[in-house]
Amino acid sequence: MNAVIGIFIKGFIVQQVTLGLASFCTWVERKGSALIQDRVGANRAGTNLVVGDLLKTNNLFLKPFSLAIRLLVLAPVFAVIRFLGSIGVINTLLNDALKALLKEDFVPAGTNVFLHALGPFMAVFPVFLAFAVIPLAPDAVIFGVPIRFQVAEISTGVLFLLAMGSIAVYGVVLAGWTGNNKFSLMGALRAAAQMISYELAMGIAFATIVLHFSTFDLYQIIDAQGGSLFNWGVWFMFPTGFIAFIILFIVGMAETKRGPFDLPESESELVAGYFTEYSGMKFLLFWLGEFAEIALFSIVLTTFFFGGWHVPFVTLPEGAWWAALIGHGVFMGKVLFFCVLQITIRWTLPRFRYDQLMNIGWKMLLPLSIINLLAAAVFKLLS
Amino acid sequence: MNMDYSGHYVLLSLVMFAIGATGFVVRRNAIVAFMCLELMLNAANIAFVALSRRVGNLDGEIVVFFVMVVAAAEAAVGLAIILAMFRNLESTETSEASQLRL
Amino acid sequence: MSIVVVCLGALLIGSALGVVLSKNPIHSALFLVANLVGVACVFGALGAHFLAMVQIIVYAGAIMVLVIFVLMLLNAKSEQRTLGTYFQLIGAGVASLIFIGVVGQEVLVQWPVQVGPAEALVGSVEAVGQLLYTEYLLPFEAAGVLLMAALVGAAMLAKTNYGKGGR
Repeated sequence: MNAVIGIFIKGFIVQQVTLGLASFCTWVERKGSALIQDRVGANRAGTNLVVGDLLKTNNLFLKPFSLAIRLLVLAPVFAVIRFLGSIGVINTLLNDALKALLKEDFVPAGTNVFLHALGPFMAVFPVFLAFAVIPLAPDAVIFGVPIRFQVAEISTGVLFLLAMGSIAVYGVVLAGWTGNNKFSLMGALRAAAQMISYELAMGIAFATIVLHFSTFDLYQIIDAQGGSLFNWGVWFMFPTGFIAFIILFIVGMAETKRGPFDLPESESELVAGYFTEYSGMKFLLFWLGEFAEIALFSIVLTTFFFGGWHVPFVTLPEGAWWAALIGHGVFMGKVLFFCVLQITIRWTLPRFRYDQLMNIGWKMLLPLSIINLLAAAVFKLLS
Repeated sequence: MNMDYSGHYVLLSLVMFAIGATGFVVRRNAIVAFMCLELMLNAANIAFVALSRRVGNLDGEIVVFFVMVVAAAEAAVGLAIILAMFRNLESTETSEASQLRL
Repeated sequence: MSIVVVCLGALLIGSALGVVLSKNPIHSALFLVANLVGVACVFGALGAHFLAMVQIIVYAGAIMVLVIFVLMLLNAKSEQRTLGTYFQLIGAGVASLIFIGVVGQEVLVQWPVQVGPAEALVGSVEAVGQLLYTEYLLPFEAAGVLLMAALVGAAMLAKTNYGKGGR
């Protein structure tokens, strides 16, 4: 029973971390895209929040308390909110969410309401579920209890990530089909074909990584990258590790339908692609799922190639709670770097045409990943 | 103490197989009949894994692996046949494909 | 009776009935996806971890996506009456009951559900891979050839300009 309670607590914490990462990515998208496109972006909401006459009282007895609260509590808090508003945080995280929650939620005529609501659920659910197998910090012993910061300690973690990537196709297909119009259906079929095509290269790239580390367990994979900087996954059996990293990076952007691969949601061509008929919270759920998937792929890249929570030239003692904290901070730093990198690439490169996209998936990445796997196998056999 | 639930799972697989067989016989849409066929294959898979656990070696699981491979191949070819049938007959009812010549 | 077995049994039987009894073929497909995920959970409960993951990747993630694609492309309509004639239904029902009765009695009498330690047999990737590449290498390679044949066959069957000396 203790284990079950532990899993629930860990799952809740990991879910909050996921939502936090997704929200951070949303803000980076809004403000970062503005900076890249040489404009200011969102900076109005929350900037004219002043203390003013709030809690002002003329009662002689209450005056000191009111002054204390206004000076020591309200003024700093409002100053922080004003600062956050000036960089667009209040706008993205509060206003957009409230707007999406309060919008009218309509279902197109002639479709099944349940399936229409199932679309965003199936698009978001596998992404959040995939966070269950990711170790977020090194093992720690807290109050005598050894804690592993991983919700599901299964031995086939890499296969689980692949499985969740396969399930994510259903959300897209359902969303496009229940829209009951040709544009959504075309967008959905294109998106599903794209996701399935890039899953092949993803599977073979994962096989290359598993070949090197000889284990499917994500915790063991991060553990094996400790020691020195040259144990990191990106350097193994050079250049097969580096090529696997490049392949997984491109595949990650294609699976999340981001970056140069966002033809399914191309606003100028297909209205809004497969989520045309969604408004309000369902649309926001798709959006949140997409950013959570960006965070997921960043975490996957960090786990496999960049040492996870290992600090480059420092060896932290095992089991200390502050070592876990530092490890987690380093992990999050690397993950955020890759998130920002993916968002920057999305706003910098023009999108591929559909046949170019399919060419890259089938004719470039798939043969490259197979040759990479063969080369890695030969290297492994020779060493 | 762990209980061995393989017998329960075999019974489950029997019921699922019976439901799949009934569905395969009575449904007229070719694709739904194909899906009932997948039900039957999965019921057999469950029985294989449960009995492999009971017997104690992994041969049953290897068989399940190959059944999955064959099911995937059969899915691809079967759905291609259904597509070709639909293109010529304009319907997916199995009662329409009653002639050898088109 | 374990709660896991009861829940999984309800999921499997319920979704199987949903596949057979649904009027809309896409509902049948979605019920089948639920059934396949349930089967993956059964594999996990029986210790076959590798098979559980492969079940989701192959069956629920690839085969059913293919089926749903075909259903959407063919624009399959809902049927009015799903269960055929009464004669078919009664015949199929009686046959099923006889089947379950006979085979079930065979199985459950010869191997009664016993209370004992579960086998410490875990179908991990290493164990299954060990068997696949040593003892069952020939079937493994033959499976590869089979998949290639299926790929070529399906691509040829689904071609559009078929017959007039197509490409």
